[in-house]
Amino acid sequence: MKPSPFHPLQIPLGLVVWSVWFVALYAGLAVACEVARPAPGEGAPLLNVGFGVFTLATAGLLALSASACLRALRREPERPPRDRFVARVGAAVHLIALAATLFIGVPLLGLPPCV
Amino acid sequence: MTRPRTPEADRIHADFDEVWGTPPGWRALTVVNHTTIGLRFMLTGIAFFLVGGLFAMLVRAQLALPGLDVLTPELYNQAFTMHGTVMMFLFAVPIMEGLAVYLLPKMLGARDLVYPRLSAFGYWCYLFGGLILMSSVVLGVAPDTGWFMYTPLSSVPHSPGPNPDFWLIGITFAEISAVSAGVELVVAILRTRAPGMSLDRMPLYAWYILVMAMMIVVGFPPLILGSILLELERAADFAFFDVARGGDPVLWQHLFWLFGHPEVYIIFLPAAGIVSTLLPVFAQRPLVAYTPVVLAVLATGFISFALWVHHMFTVGIPQLAQAFFSAASMLVAVPTGVQVFAWLATLWLGRPLWKVPMLWLAGFLFVFVAGGLTGVMLALVPFNWQVHDTQFVVAHLHYVLVGGMFFPLVAGVYYWLPHFSGRMPSARLGRYGFWLVFVGFNLTFLVMHWTGLLGMPRRVYTYEEGLGWDLPNLVSSIGSFVMAIGVATVLIDIALHFRFGRRATANPWHADTLEWATSLPPGPYNFASLPQIDSRHPLWERDGLADEIAHGRHGLPGIAHGRRETWGVEPLSGRVREIIHLPGNTLLPFVVAVLLAVVCIGLLAKIYLLAVAFALAATAGVLRWSWENGAHPCAAPDATTPPDHPPLHSRTRDGPGLWGMNLTLLANGALYLSLLFSWFYLWTVAPAWQIPASGAARGGGLLLASTVLLTVASFALRQIVLRLARGIGAGAVGGFVAITALGLASAGLLGYALLDPRLAPTATAHDALVVFILGYSLFHCALAALATALQVGRLRAGYVGAGMPYELLVVARLWYYAAAVGWSSYAALVLFPAAWGAA
Repeated sequence: MKPSPFHPLQIPLGLVVWSVWFVALYAGLAVACEVARPAPGEGAPLLNVGFGVFTLATAGLLALSASACLRALRREPERPPRDRFVARVGAAVHLIALAATLFIGVPLLGLPPCV
Repeated sequence: MTRPRTPEADRIHADFDEVWGTPPGWRALTVVNHTTIGLRFMLTGIAFFLVGGLFAMLVRAQLALPGLDVLTPELYNQAFTMHGTVMMFLFAVPIMEGLAVYLLPKMLGARDLVYPRLSAFGYWCYLFGGLILMSSVVLGVAPDTGWFMYTPLSSVPHSPGPNPDFWLIGITFAEISAVSAGVELVVAILRTRAPGMSLDRMPLYAWYILVMAMMIVVGFPPLILGSILLELERAADFAFFDVARGGDPVLWQHLFWLFGHPEVYIIFLPAAGIVSTLLPVFAQRPLVAYTPVVLAVLATGFISFALWVHHMFTVGIPQLAQAFFSAASMLVAVPTGVQVFAWLATLWLGRPLWKVPMLWLAGFLFVFVAGGLTGVMLALVPFNWQVHDTQFVVAHLHYVLVGGMFFPLVAGVYYWLPHFSGRMPSARLGRYGFWLVFVGFNLTFLVMHWTGLLGMPRRVYTYEEGLGWDLPNLVSSIGSFVMAIGVATVLIDIALHFRFGRRATANPWHADTLEWATSLPPGPYNFASLPQIDSRHPLWERDGLADEIAHGRHGLPGIAHGRRETWGVEPLSGRVREIIHLPGNTLLPFVVAVLLAVVCIGLLAKIYLLAVAFALAATAGVLRWSWENGAHPCAAPDATTPPDHPPLHSRTRDGPGLWGMNLTLLANGALYLSLLFSWFYLWTVAPAWQIPASGAARGGGLLLASTVLLTVASFALRQIVLRLARGIGAGAVGGFVAITALGLASAGLLGYALLDPRLAPTATAHDALVVFILGYSLFHCALAALATALQVGRLRAGYVGAGMPYELLVVARLWYYAAAVGWSSYAALVLFPAAWGAA
C-alpha cells in the first residue's frame, strides 16, 4: 500500500528504494556472472541491457513518487507546515535517489559485466 | 548555579532532587540518568583516546628515522593495530554517542532518555569491553593484525596466539553499547521531544544523531556477525573463511567493510551536527538552508552504505561492480558539499565571533575539505590501485577522521564546557592548543601524502635509507609530537578551567537551543517543567523561557507522585500522547554487565563451563530487569495521573518499548541478512565451495516443523493479546503457558536437527553455516519462549493483563520475528539449494 505523500515514511522511502536497487544490482551482477557469464566478446550487452532496464524502471518509479509528493503539495496548500515539510523532504529524497540511481547506473553504458 | 534562583525554584529543585538525585559512594554504580551516563562515556572515551594517542606516538617514534628499533616488529604490529582499534571503537564512536546521550534530552526538552537502564548497561559494556581489550596489552598479547582483522592473517594458522581473540571478544562486547545507544537515541528523538517540537522544528543536531543512530542500528550488525563467525572459526574450528574447506577470506572483508565504511560517517555525522549547532550561534544567525541540510544528512547516511567495496578495489572484483562503487564514492561528496556550502553561507551572512570553539570549526573546514578531496581521488579505481596500502591512504583517513571528527568534537567540548563545570573556558590557552594541534596535524599528515606517493607502504615497521622517505617521515614524526603537545595543552586548559574559569552566566553564548535553558551544570532531571515549543530557535525567540521552566510554569511540573517522567509525543507533530515513566537508579545494569564480562573472560580463557554458568546468571539478571517494568511498583510507584493528562505509557498500546523492540529487531534483522548474505555469497563465489555428499537439505523437515509451530504460536499469541487489549483476560495465563510450550518444542526440534551426526561444521563452510543458521533460529525460539514464560509470571502478579497488554505486544514482536527467521531460513537452506540444483 502506498503511503500518503504527507506520511513520515516518505522521508526515507526514496533512498530505501535506491538501496534495494543498489543491492539488487550488485548482487544480481555477481550471480549473473556466475550462472550466465558471457563468453569473451559476446553476450555482454544483453546483461548490460537487462540491468539498464532495471535501472530505468527504478528511476521511473522514483520519478513518479517524487511527482506524487509535489502534486500533493500543490493540491493541498492548507496542510500544516509540518505536513508540507514531510512532503517536500519526501519529494526531494525521491529526486536525490533518482539522481543517484542514474549516476551509478552510467557505467552500464560502457563497461562489460564480468571482466 | 548561574541563574539566580527564587525560594520557589529552590523548593521545586529540592523536590525533584529527591526523586532524580544521584547518590554518592558505591551507589554511584546504580545511577542510570543520561547526564551522568553521558559524562561517563565521554570521560572514558578521553581516557581511551590518550591510550590510543600513546600508541600513535610509539608508531611515529619508530618511523622517525630509517632503521630504528624503538619497537620490535611484533610490538610495532600491536601498536598500529591497537591505535586504530582504540581510536575507532573505544574513542570516536563512544565519545560521540556519549555527547549525544548527554545532550539530546536537554536539546529536545525531555528529562531523560527513554531506556535509562539500557544507557547504563551500554556504558558498563563499553567500559568492560575496553578493559578486556586493554588487558591484552598488559599481558603482551595485544591484537597485531590491523584494526580490520583481515583473514587469513587473523586465522589460527597465522595467528595461533590469543591476540585476535581479545579483539573479537572485547570489541564485540563493547559494541553492545553502540547498538543499544543507537536504538535508544532513535526512540528518544522520535518519541520524547518537547510538545510542539514537530520534525521541522527539531534542532539539526537531532537530525544528525537520528541518522547516525539508524546507521549504527543497521551498520554494526555485519561486523558483530563477522566477529562471531571468526571467533567460532578460531575457537571451534568452524570453517567460514578457509578456502580449502569451502570458505572465503574475502567474505570477512565484505562483512567488515559493510560496517567499516558507514562507520566513517557514523563518526562524521555527529561531528557535523556539532558544527551545524555551533556555527549559527557564533555567526549570530540561523543556519542557512535547514531543509537542504536535513536532505544532505539523510542522503549521506544512505549513500555511505554503498561505498564499502572501495576498500576492496584490489581483491579482484569485476570492473563494472567496481565502477558502481566508484560512482557511489564520488556521489557521497555531493551531500557533504551541500553542508559545507551551508556552513560557509551562514558565516558569510552572519557576524562571526571568533571565540575558541570557532577556531576549531575553522580548522575542521580546512582539514575536512582537504580530506574529502583526497577521498574523491581515492574513489577513482585506477588511482586507488596505485596508492593502495600506502601512506597516502593513512594521510587521507586521518584528514577525514581527525578533521571530520576531532576538530568539531573539541569545538563542542569548549562550547559545552559551562554545562560540565558551570565555568567558561579560557581565551588564551585554548588558542595555543588549537594552533599547536592544527600545525602539528598538518605537518604530520600533509607530508604523509607525499610519503605515500613516493611509494612507502602502510604497516611496515621500518625502512631503509635512500628511498626518499627519510625526510618526510622525520617531518611527520616531529609534527605528531607537536600535535601531542597541542592535545596536552587543550587538556590542561580544560582541567585548569574547572578551578580558574570564569563563572558562566545563563546561556553564556546566547545560543538558541533548549540545552541552555537548564541550570549550569544541570540537575539530573534537566527541567523542572517541560515547555511547549513553537519554533526552531526557542531561546532566541522567547526571553525568560528558562526562568519559566525553572519555576515549574510548564508541563509535568509536579513530582509528588515519586516517579520519573517525561512527555511521550507523536513522532511527526510533537503532539503529546502519553506520559513516559522512567525507571530509577538500580544496580541491575552493572551486575548484568559484570556477569557478561566474566562470560567474555571465560571465552578468552577457554573455560567454557564458566562462560555458560555466567551467561545463565546474566540471563537471570536480564529477566529480573524485565520483571520490574510497566505496572510493577518499582516502575511507577504511583500510577495515577491528573484527569486532564494523557495516560502512562505502560497503560497504552504504543509505548517506547514497542519502538525499541522494533529497532532491536531491525538490528537483529541486519545481522540475519548479513548471515544470509554470507550463505549466498559462499554459494556463488567461494572458490572451493563444497556441498556435502549427504545433501544440502539436512534438517529441513525439522526446521519446517519448528517454523510451523512458531507460526501457530505467533497467531495464538496475537489473538490473546488482542483479547487482553479489549479487556478480556479469561484464559490468558493458560494460553501463554501453551505458547511457551510451543516455543520450547520448536527449540527442541531445532536442537534435534543440530544433533544430526552428518552435520560437520569443521569440515565444510556449508555445514558451518547450516549449523549457525539453525543455532540462530533455535536461539530465537528459546528467547521467545523464555520472554513469554516471564510474562506468565507477570500476568499472575498483575503487572500485565486485561487492559494492560503493553509488554505482551512487545513480546509478540519477538515471536513474529522468530517465525519470519524460520521461514526465510527454510527458504535459504532447503528451497534455494533445490532451485540451484544442489539438493
